Amino acid sequence: MTPSDSGYVDYFAELELDEDAKPGEVRKAYRRIMKDLVNEIAAVEITEERRARYLLQMAKLNAALYVLRETESRDEYWESRKELIALEKEWIAASESRDPNVDRYRKAYDAKLRDFLAKYVEDLMLAAGRDKECVEASNWDAAHERHAFRILRHYRQSLYREILERLPFAEVTPPQIDWKERQGAVTRLLSHGGM
Amino acid sequence: MAWGKSKSASVEKSVDMDLGAEALAKAVHDGDMVNFRLLFLPFSPLRKDSSERLEDEKYAYLRPDSETQSRPEFREALAVVRERTVWQHIESELAANRPAQLPWELVLLLGDNAVRLGKYTNAAQAYEVLRIRRKMQEEFFRQADEALDAGKVKRGVRGYVAATSLEYDYAAFPEPLPKVPDFQRRALILHGVYPERVEDCLPLQELEAFLRAALTYLLLDAPAAARLESRPVAQRLAFLAELVQQRDPEWRAFVHRYREACDLMRDFDKRITRATAERGRTQASLAGEIEEVLGQDPRAIPSCLLGRTIENGEWWQYMQELAYLHPAAALFVSRQLVGDVEILVPRYRADSPVPRELGLITGPGSAELRTN
Repeated sequence: MTPSDSGYVDYFAELELDEDAKPGEVRKAYRRIMKDLVNEIAAVEITEERRARYLLQMAKLNAALYVLRETESRDEYWESRKELIALEKEWIAASESRDPNVDRYRKAYDAKLRDFLAKYVEDLMLAAGRDKECVEASNWDAAHERHAFRILRHYRQSLYREILERLPFAEVTPPQIDWKERQGAVTRLLSHGGM
Repeated sequence: MAWGKSKSASVEKSVDMDLGAEALAKAVHDGDMVNFRLLFLPFSPLRKDSSERLEDEKYAYLRPDSETQSRPEFREALAVVRERTVWQHIESELAANRPAQLPWELVLLLGDNAVRLGKYTNAAQAYEVLRIRRKMQEEFFRQADEALDAGKVKRGVRGYVAATSLEYDYAAFPEPLPKVPDFQRRALILHGVYPERVEDCLPLQELEAFLRAALTYLLLDAPAAARLESRPVAQRLAFLAELVQQRDPEWRAFVHRYREACDLMRDFDKRITRATAERGRTQASLAGEIEEVLGQDPRAIPSCLLGRTIENGEWWQYMQELAYLHPAAALFVSRQLVGDVEILVPRYRADSPVPRELGLITGPGSAELRTN
């Protein structure tokens, strides 16, 4: 994944596969990785932090199988991802060249990004958890789904923020932060009695 | 709210931009992100094509009063608003027919003022927009740890409170939001399971376990509490005492009520013990004692703790309100079943230095409040 790809969930990478992997390879890789994960979960004491991490890993693997095992859904996903990456580049170029239509590019990209993350990070991950093949391999049940709602929403928004960090500033002018000044500001704030 | 409206359909008006600059400076001075954003929205009274007027009575809250105008923080904010490049940017954004780009200099100052005033959700939003929130948290933690190393507990606590209060909740629906202190919810989680055994009862935990739970609860952040684990017990104890005060300026009022509730609890405890001891003497005396015990309504105890009675109030209703008013109170009470009524009672370890440090008990001879 290149820096400009990061944040756009890559299901091929989740299954350690190349993008031209065949459905048979997808199933094989899914079963192998899911089996290892289930064994790992069985061997450790489950804390709240571990539960969240394992649920997310499971949800990602389930979604990877769900999306990649059919040619149609796989192509749709991959095209959508490529289109999003292209839109990001267009917006950055428009911003750097001070294109007067920069806001149009930003809006088009932002809408596409939100749709992509909502579909491939939240909706399909939950839908995959109800799929027979995924349920059999991962033992995913209603309790998992209940916990997963919040975890997936957090994951989706974290990805959104991660992507946003590398993009041009839109809501605010590009800040010129002087971290020496910031250290001084924090010192002053901590000295302030009313805080 | 809509962008792209036709200029011909809009009403041009004259805007007093001196007053506009003061309104912007007031929002920055107040650390108020909502009002600051409002001044750039399509219907902002600062826009010439908006029919809203800043001079109207309904916008009085946006204008600074004379007391605000005399403050150095306001004058500093106004000076930044009037800086040539900042002012030019503001004017061009207010004239443009699109979402405004906020000037970073003002957003940064707004964030700092919000921290100064303890308006952490505003500060978190300002720093998040500038993409410096996490680094600001790290800086607060770093300086707070330095202060604790130097024995400056008060300053250390301020730093931890600021750092943890700048946290964001990315799982909030539908959009991420700054984390808010939700002690009324967290207190219910702390007491979610009825304490059948002593080790299940939070106030009766060993000192180490109690400090860990208390700091995690009051800092609203387990990793932040974990940062303090390696510090000496005495320092964590002092940290907890200071944190309780900073979270709850009215703590002394609770302490007074807590002591009264302890007296009620002791009296109640004695009655139960006497009734139990006399059981078996005669049927009549047992019935009489039970009547005597139950005659004293145990619900007087949670009412005393809270300072008011909730009609037909359940233990969790008392807990929610108590934790909202006095966050640390949830650390020194527990659930207790009395007959068929479950109530909140004061509970602490007499051998722990914590309740004494927080003024909940005085003197070495205070008896432990037992579970029965």
